[in-house]
Amino acid sequence: MNEYTKPLPTPTADSQPFWDACRDEKLTCQRCDDCKTARFPPHHVCPNCLSVNSHWEEMSGKGSVFSFTVFRRVYDPGFADEVPYVVALIELEEGPRMLSNVVSIDPDKVVCGMPVKVVFEKATQEITLPKFEPAES
Amino acid sequence: MSTTLSRSRGRFAIIGVGNTEGGVMPLSSTGDAMFAEAAIKAIKDAGVDKAEINGLVTHGTEEERVHHQRIGAMLGLDANFSTSVDNGGASQVASIITACMAIDAGLCDVVLCGYSADYRAKIQRAGKKQAVQLVPESMLAGQFRYEFGYFGEMASYAFGATRHMHLFGTTREDFANVAVTQRDYASRNPNAQYRKPITVEEHLNARQIVDPFGLLDCCPVTDGAGAVIVARADRAQNIAKKTAYILGYGIANNIDGLFAGNNMFQTAGVASSKTAYEMAGITASDVDTAQFYDTTTAQTIMQLEDYGFCKKGEGGPFVSSGATGPGGIIPTNTAGGLLSEGHVAGMWHILEGVRQVRQSHPPERQIPNAEIAVISGNGGNSVCHGSLVLSRNPS
Repeated sequence: MNEYTKPLPTPTADSQPFWDACRDEKLTCQRCDDCKTARFPPHHVCPNCLSVNSHWEEMSGKGSVFSFTVFRRVYDPGFADEVPYVVALIELEEGPRMLSNVVSIDPDKVVCGMPVKVVFEKATQEITLPKFEPAES
Repeated sequence: MSTTLSRSRGRFAIIGVGNTEGGVMPLSSTGDAMFAEAAIKAIKDAGVDKAEINGLVTHGTEEERVHHQRIGAMLGLDANFSTSVDNGGASQVASIITACMAIDAGLCDVVLCGYSADYRAKIQRAGKKQAVQLVPESMLAGQFRYEFGYFGEMASYAFGATRHMHLFGTTREDFANVAVTQRDYASRNPNAQYRKPITVEEHLNARQIVDPFGLLDCCPVTDGAGAVIVARADRAQNIAKKTAYILGYGIANNIDGLFAGNNMFQTAGVASSKTAYEMAGITASDVDTAQFYDTTTAQTIMQLEDYGFCKKGEGGPFVSSGATGPGGIIPTNTAGGLLSEGHVAGMWHILEGVRQVRQSHPPERQIPNAEIAVISGNGGNSVCHGSLVLSRNPS
């Protein structure tokens, strides 16, 4: 396997469980124990009710493209072989929105609202990235 | 909404302005030297003595803390009140609002607000081609961004533009008309970074940057500075010829972030302008010219909607109808805006608003009988927003 040359995420204490679950190919979000609101990105506190009690819950992995952009220029040499590539904001069916890539599709065919489902791309032993590909609605 | 907003109507004024001139600064220009040039001109323009300035509000670059202290020391100011604000592109409007509030509280009387940028020179001195290459390693660390190849400011605005096109049918031709109109204004502005007129076709054929934006949808990196002097209106009335009264102001932030709700295509200018209009006792139909913080062409369109010049979603056809051009319903970004005059983080939008209501421009740049100007600052990934209503008259 070639050396991975793209930027890697730096997990924090709050987000480590998310990245651990990605390594196991599970997409998870925190859900508040008190008001039941699901949230992303990870934080210590619920932005709805300020409860600090939450648990990690596996999401269905299904969602839709809220919006997106296509990168056609290389800003980091790790992406030189990737352009054009799609960076998208995915709205999960459970509610939270998550930045990711839409893969396995011609970038010119991506539209707002299209249904997608999670796929996992192993980057290193530690990091697996959640990405999204077109799904049946 | 507070019923006391009107209490502040017309009580403060911008009594002096200054800026670096000439379009593109030499690469030897430093941020400090440009700040000093703008400040000296503003002080002279206001006709105040340096010793009268007892307030200072600035906005430093991302790397610098306590910027106001260093600037205050450089200019030898004896400021009772000084601070630096941190609202991204809304910072320059927020600086002036902070000055008004500090004067109102009795903390100071005459306030210098200023901003300078030397990113372009820094990039070129460092032998780099793109601003994104100046991002420090410490910022590149993090998560939920760079690992997905999401780089640069323009991408953030691209999300909003894509969604706006999806919901409302806004077209790339509409974006082109924003750029063409603003370049037309800039062609008459000797201080503009880009002055050569462009066509819709040239805009559409320019190289693609980050969809749906091509090169001419994106503001440039600019070096330059601007400064203003803020004081009570009664102080200003002694030198009325040079006064722009602050009829109203507002700050509002979509603080849940660019990716929440409708924030990516609806700025906090909705709430910010509502406050500013109420304080000023006006509606959008009273405004003669608008200066909107236009990081991209799409931002001009969104703010025309959010400030009530047209309905939400109709900003594209509104611009394409000629409404923002000379003689239009609302001449907008009449110095060229960030897109063509240059990105001095909105400070030059404020100066342009002041000059329009002073009616001090030469005829080819002056909006006839301009009495009221509205100015926006929009930044922090489109989260932070501030609005000013400037007027030729105190009420």
